Amino acid sequence: MKFDVERSLILTAIGAFLFFAVGAVLTTVVPPMVDKTMWASEYPVHEYTEQELRGIEVYKSQGCVYCHTQQVRKLASDQRRYGWRLVEAPASESWEYVNDRVNFLGTKRTGPDLARVGGKYSSEWHWAHFKDPRNMGEKFPDRKGIYEKASLMPSFAYLSDEEIKDLTAYIQTLGRNINWRKDENGNPLNDYEE
Amino acid sequence: MKQDTAAKTMVIASTLFFGVALTMGLLTALKFIVPTVGEIEYLSLPRVRMLHTNINLFGWLLQANMGILFWILPRILHTRLFSEKLGVAMGVLYNLTVIGGLICIMLGKVKNVEYGEMPPPFDYLVAVCWVMFAINVFGTVAIRKVKYLYVTVWYTLGAVIWTTFVWITGNMFSQMPMVAGVNQANLIWFYVHNAVGLIFTPLGVAIAYYLIPKQLDTPIYSHKLSMIGFWVISFVYVWTGAHHMIHGPVSHWLQTVAIIFSFSLIIPVMAVITNFFGTFATAPRVTRMQGPIPKLLMMGTVYYIFTCLQGPFQAIRSVNEITSKTDWVVGHAHMALFGAFSYYAMAGIYYVAPKLSGRKLYSEKLGDLQFWIMTLASIPFFAVLWISGVIQGFAWLNPENTFVETLAALKHAHIMRFVTGGGIFAAYFLFLYNVLQTFFGKYGDEAVAETEPVAELGS
Repeated sequence: MKFDVERSLILTAIGAFLFFAVGAVLTTVVPPMVDKTMWASEYPVHEYTEQELRGIEVYKSQGCVYCHTQQVRKLASDQRRYGWRLVEAPASESWEYVNDRVNFLGTKRTGPDLARVGGKYSSEWHWAHFKDPRNMGEKFPDRKGIYEKASLMPSFAYLSDEEIKDLTAYIQTLGRNINWRKDENGNPLNDYEE
Repeated sequence: MKQDTAAKTMVIASTLFFGVALTMGLLTALKFIVPTVGEIEYLSLPRVRMLHTNINLFGWLLQANMGILFWILPRILHTRLFSEKLGVAMGVLYNLTVIGGLICIMLGKVKNVEYGEMPPPFDYLVAVCWVMFAINVFGTVAIRKVKYLYVTVWYTLGAVIWTTFVWITGNMFSQMPMVAGVNQANLIWFYVHNAVGLIFTPLGVAIAYYLIPKQLDTPIYSHKLSMIGFWVISFVYVWTGAHHMIHGPVSHWLQTVAIIFSFSLIIPVMAVITNFFGTFATAPRVTRMQGPIPKLLMMGTVYYIFTCLQGPFQAIRSVNEITSKTDWVVGHAHMALFGAFSYYAMAGIYYVAPKLSGRKLYSEKLGDLQFWIMTLASIPFFAVLWISGVIQGFAWLNPENTFVETLAALKHAHIMRFVTGGGIFAAYFLFLYNVLQTFFGKYGDEAVAETEPVAELGS
């Protein structure tokens, strides 16, 4: 008996579905079954507080993820760039994200990666930065000798003070499931960290 | 209900949405040069970017494809559309859904799903529309008067089936309470990649498979290549989602699987492209590039090759190290969705609009002009994004460069992107004018009616 797939709606549809289903199952259902670190952790992972959860909502609704990724890739350049004071940032591990009900791994870096940003800057710095981001950090002379603002980050001055506090609380937790923010002698990397 | 009302509604609506999407794109590009432009919450940079992608994907491209297929399917199957009423109802519901979703995005009520930001209930309503579309597609195929299903029909059926699962996985499963972290990211990237690969690719290719032979009045080059292209893509495409996380916090083996299958994609794409070019080559030399339709189809195919060769190569680990997370990816996405599939959709609208209004296209010359402006603007537009991506990628390798310095180096690229994007935007208005004139304008009645009635209407 000859199967003439092209004459049959049913055969074409079932064929297309089955071919698709193999890859679909093997890349969505099977990975978490094989790799438990995708949903469970053997190390303690930070549980978000009420305030931090509100911060996550702000982060999501403001679309921060479209310019800031949250993954230090397993690349020397990433680990060095997102480290602090000559201490390299450890690459992000999948178990670190198990409590992130809303993940922000991201695909595009118009701004720097934020996976290990927690504790790098003081909350006061973040406050000023959200209010007027282009007036912070570095400025460069251009050819005419005038200083220009190179950052493109939009101002979030329209957020309420509460929202900025929530957002900052969340950002300060980022990347701290691995305790890397100490120098060789075990001293914290910033003065304002206990 | 009058035949082809559904097709007409969706084609016109999508043409209008296209303009809004391009406006948002241009505004995004402008904000990269002058960040203070439109600095209010509802038009902040990330919101405008979300609006740009969502209007393009759902308001313009998906809707245009569905409208064009509502016209093509009955012709190819020698029957009528299964239910014109269902089609119109779907078109109206779909537009209301998209507008509702866009308002939510503007207000910041979003999901963390790229390309699927529309929150509930609107994402569920899109699914309802999709089921209505599926009923019409399957119904039309079921009541067909021809024995064999043509390639266009395979791809349409495939898209309908695959997209159902892709949409549910990305928009519903990914939001379930037990799904978190990297597992959620994996589901979302499964959706993001297959939204392009298993929604827009098959629908766009379906339209091109109909239009190229029809417009050139020559049979398709090779039936065997059509089969290879279809069956291999249905197997291979879906595996590639994890290539968005190369070097990232996901299992190494899953990345490798995604890379291998990204490379395998060269097989179906080359089959399809050889087929298209072969068909072009068999058409008479004098007439094969007359008017905007074959030009758009040809250029769309060229962009399709480039984007589909770029994809496999940028999935290699060493290349990915430089290109990933930079403007390169933006250029790649634009060439797929704008370069290849929007070109096919515009060709489709130029083809279908005259048939729907029962007279000739308002102006072929204007169409040609639009094609040339759009093409000459889009080539540097894509190129400048890749160049700036490579600059950015290499600049990041050196820890001496601060992040803001690497961004400042792209200033000229950002200006160039805005200027070339402006060219595309300007050309759009020629397209809009041409299409609207064809539907509603008053011009010479000497234009011959060339409507193509469907066989045995009302039987």
